[in-house]
Amino acid sequence: MTTLGRNGREGRVRESYAAPSGGANVREVQRVLAQHGGSAPAARGGSLETHSTTITPPRLDAAQVVEGSRLEARVIVGAPVAACGGFLDGIQRSVVAWYPRAMLPAIHATVAAAIRTRAHDRTLHTWRGAPLVERALYLPVALAGAELVAALGAAGVSVVDTLPPDEHAGDRHPQELIGVARQAIQERRAQLEERLATEWCATEQLPLYVDGGISGFAAASRSPLAIGVVKSHRTLYVDAEGMATLAALEPGQRSSAMRVASRGRTQVASWYLRLRAEGDPLGGLVRIEVAEPGFNSERADLVSRWVLAEREPAALPDARWRVMAYGIRDCEEYLRAVAG
Amino acid sequence: MGEILGRVVATERRPNTPHEFHFWTALDAPVGIGTIVRVEGTNPVSGHLPRVYGVIVEGFSYSDLETPLHDVLGADGSPDRASDAPTRRTEIRLYKGAVLRHVPDDPLQPVPLGSVFLASEQDVAVALRMDAYMKEGQSTGIPIGLYRAGAMASPIFLDADFLLGPEAAHLNITGVSGLATKTSAVEWLLGSIFAHFPEKKGTVAALCFNVKGPDLCFLDQPATRLEPSDLELYDKLGVPPAPFANVEYFAPYTARGYSLNTLRSNESLSHNLRPLTWGLREVLQYAEVLLNKDDVDAKADALIDFIRERVVDQDFQDAALGTTPHRVQSFTELERFFRELLRAMEEKNHEQWRTHHVATIRKVRNRLTNISTRCRGLVTDDGTVSDLPWGAFQDRGVYVVDVANLEEDAQDLIFARVVTQLRERLEKRTLGVDHVVVFVDELNKYAPSDGPDTYVRKMLLDVAERGRYLGLVLFAAQQFRSQVHRRVVGNSGTALFGRMDSDELATPGYATLAPATRTKLATLDKGELMVRHPHFTQPVFVRFPRPAVLSGREGVEKFPPAEEPTLDEAIVRALRPLDRTITLDWVKETIALADEDEVLRARNRTLQVRPDDPKAFFRAQLKRRIPAETVAPRPRPAIRTSPNDDPYAF
Ligand SMILES: Nc1ncnc2c1ncn2[C@@H]1O[C@H](COP(=O)(O)OP(=O)(O)OP(=O)(O)O)[C@@H](O)[C@H]1O
Ligand SMILES: [Mg+2]
Repeated sequence: MTTLGRNGREGRVRESYAAPSGGANVREVQRVLAQHGGSAPAARGGSLETHSTTITPPRLDAAQVVEGSRLEARVIVGAPVAACGGFLDGIQRSVVAWYPRAMLPAIHATVAAAIRTRAHDRTLHTWRGAPLVERALYLPVALAGAELVAALGAAGVSVVDTLPPDEHAGDRHPQELIGVARQAIQERRAQLEERLATEWCATEQLPLYVDGGISGFAAASRSPLAIGVVKSHRTLYVDAEGMATLAALEPGQRSSAMRVASRGRTQVASWYLRLRAEGDPLGGLVRIEVAEPGFNSERADLVSRWVLAEREPAALPDARWRVMAYGIRDCEEYLRAVAG
Repeated sequence: MGEILGRVVATERRPNTPHEFHFWTALDAPVGIGTIVRVEGTNPVSGHLPRVYGVIVEGFSYSDLETPLHDVLGADGSPDRASDAPTRRTEIRLYKGAVLRHVPDDPLQPVPLGSVFLASEQDVAVALRMDAYMKEGQSTGIPIGLYRAGAMASPIFLDADFLLGPEAAHLNITGVSGLATKTSAVEWLLGSIFAHFPEKKGTVAALCFNVKGPDLCFLDQPATRLEPSDLELYDKLGVPPAPFANVEYFAPYTARGYSLNTLRSNESLSHNLRPLTWGLREVLQYAEVLLNKDDVDAKADALIDFIRERVVDQDFQDAALGTTPHRVQSFTELERFFRELLRAMEEKNHEQWRTHHVATIRKVRNRLTNISTRCRGLVTDDGTVSDLPWGAFQDRGVYVVDVANLEEDAQDLIFARVVTQLRERLEKRTLGVDHVVVFVDELNKYAPSDGPDTYVRKMLLDVAERGRYLGLVLFAAQQFRSQVHRRVVGNSGTALFGRMDSDELATPGYATLAPATRTKLATLDKGELMVRHPHFTQPVFVRFPRPAVLSGREGVEKFPPAEEPTLDEAIVRALRPLDRTITLDWVKETIALADEDEVLRARNRTLQVRPDDPKAFFRAQLKRRIPAETVAPRPRPAIRTSPNDDPYAF
């Protein structure tokens, strides 16, 4: 953990607000594309993050309970204790920048990730002084044509191919193309997050509070330092009986731990924790993911106490404040300010 | 360049203008209200990177909370939970700066988004436009105090051309009693002026009216206590920490006439203390100062004019008054003149004398003889004049007139005559110096914003409005600026403010100051001042050292005022500075046969003439009069009523 002293001030007030380098912005990309024909999108600037097209449908997927034989409410022994040294989060911003051909959307996206570390004076600062920021144009290269891609490359625009080269590119609904682009953007963002998580776990000593799960990480998902906190519950890892248990969880209580395993991801230990009381049975509820090696009930209690400690200060005015740590909100605000 | 302190920010809702800007800093940045900063723009305008100098006039702090309720919600309603949260909320320090100067100043544009630096000493000079009058070899700078920010300290100079004329002049200082250090600030500044007044501007002296207790009674004595921090300020500002070398004190006598009416009466300080006494002629010239307050009409005025021009100081003959000419030179003689005139009119049953009605004559007699009673101690019955050294004022001299214990009438008379003399002599260039600083404390008493339009107030207004061309400069102090006449403070080029009263700050005169600046004024430390000066676009805050002179309070402890003397002692005390060999025994023997009036008269003459052989001169005064006295003892003037317990009344 770094402590900013007198010399640290330079880091806090930098010479200019020039966004951390990370590639061409939308305007620059549009300038290049306009030279090669095509048309501008009708509605300018509508961020794709606001229309949710490709959202996984809600479902139940009961996981194997590893603490006892069935899912139960457990009283946590010990008071909340602040132990996390950093907060990891990422953001993405994407818009349809251009239509190089009719019905072929080229999507510009900014993805960014950062860790905010907590200093001795309880203030937050950016780990290693800067976030990771990447700007790129997402489009199916096979449909756009090699010439355009070469021109973009020559103008310094990074291009990400949204379709694997072997996949048949023709006859695609433009919405579908947007969907695959978003998928690619999300993956890119996850990669940035993972990079930071991996570096943190390799070099730091204090736990890292990660916004979202850690099972998608490789090395970091096996580190005792990575604590994933999942705020949304589109998949509930319980059965009908378990749902009744979750609904009855009091603030400060947790569920029995489970083993959560999905295809292509690392198997992790996971449990539900009620942070705050709310009328809605899923309100105030988070799911925690930690590495499976070394997991036991004491660790589940300890990690729960770490997470409970981050309820203050409240992340208001964010609508998700009941399940969001202040450090995560701070990280998100920070990323919005420098890369949004 | 220095370390970057902050960054200018502007939003649509809080935009920057050519005169105002906003910037944020780290939470621990060494800045506050009054700090001077420099903004470096990043986009060249007509080939120059713009630089803007400003002073912080307001500060804001807030967090990312949208409403206080969110904090309550987040802490579940218990404040102690909020305080031990593991993370501190993001907080901002946002400051508002008022622009002091743009470089270049044309075209005048809004303050650019740029980096903010703490102003260096050189920046401060540029920001306050001091560079214009601090040029090597032709500086007209007068140090007023030290501006400090962080580790930086920068002397602040006033421009002598704008403090003592001719461009602008006068100084006014405001602040609450005891904490504002008003009197001290003026004492300090006079010392600074004497040390730095540029030679090419000529000579300068100060005339101070001591209006309150022992305030200015020890300007020639060293301070008992100057802290190392004070000495450092003297050193940094280039002013010697020494009392005034050339001070003369003037005070009228007490009503009884034995001793001078001042708290600086300790015998060891008598060498530069002189009586201030005026005769009939001096007073008649200023009679209107006192008479226009009363119901003196045109008829009475006409009679007074007649007496002044035709009777006083000449042989006056009139059929009604017999054959021997009247020679009126003192109040006593004026009284005799009136008495004989009225008796003659009564005998002949005349209602008129030279167009003047008997009632008018009675009224004027009453008024004029009244003056000598109301101003006893200042106005001598016998016409002896002991005055300020008109025509012989000395460069860097300080002349203190102690009016602290006088009746209001006597004070007014002194103000009027002294200031008028200064004015006339400066106009004719016959004062002895080119510039005079007149210091008037408690200005609200002499030039109040409301109340009757007195002679003294008119005179102060005149000095404020025209003095700068003559080198007649008014330094004035008061607790409440709002209670002083607008035109007097309005004409003051330089204004100082010490710790202020919050009620005073709520008056309209301070509305232009930002609320934070007002808060700072209400909490200023002793020795801190806010300075307004024509060159400074915005007020600046400075610190000045304790004056190097003995304070009034300590002075009266160190030099306790002399006991009220007996007549013998009074004479010894008065004459000893002229001749060290004069003893109490000698005086007792010499005055044994004389009466009190004779003795005091002889003393006054001796002090006025300052003869080579004071003993012989003094004795001669008595001898000359004693035989006359024994042959035809003159009646004591009716206006002199002796108190019952007066041991010398007989
Ligand atoms: N530069 C200074 N630093 C610290 N203290 C000072 C300084 N100058 C004066 N003082 C102290 O402040 C006190 C008040 O000073 P001063 O008599 O000048 O105030 P004032 O405003 O004239 O008060 P009043 O209205 O009663 O006449 C004195 O005790 C003096 O010692
Ligand atoms: Mg005072």
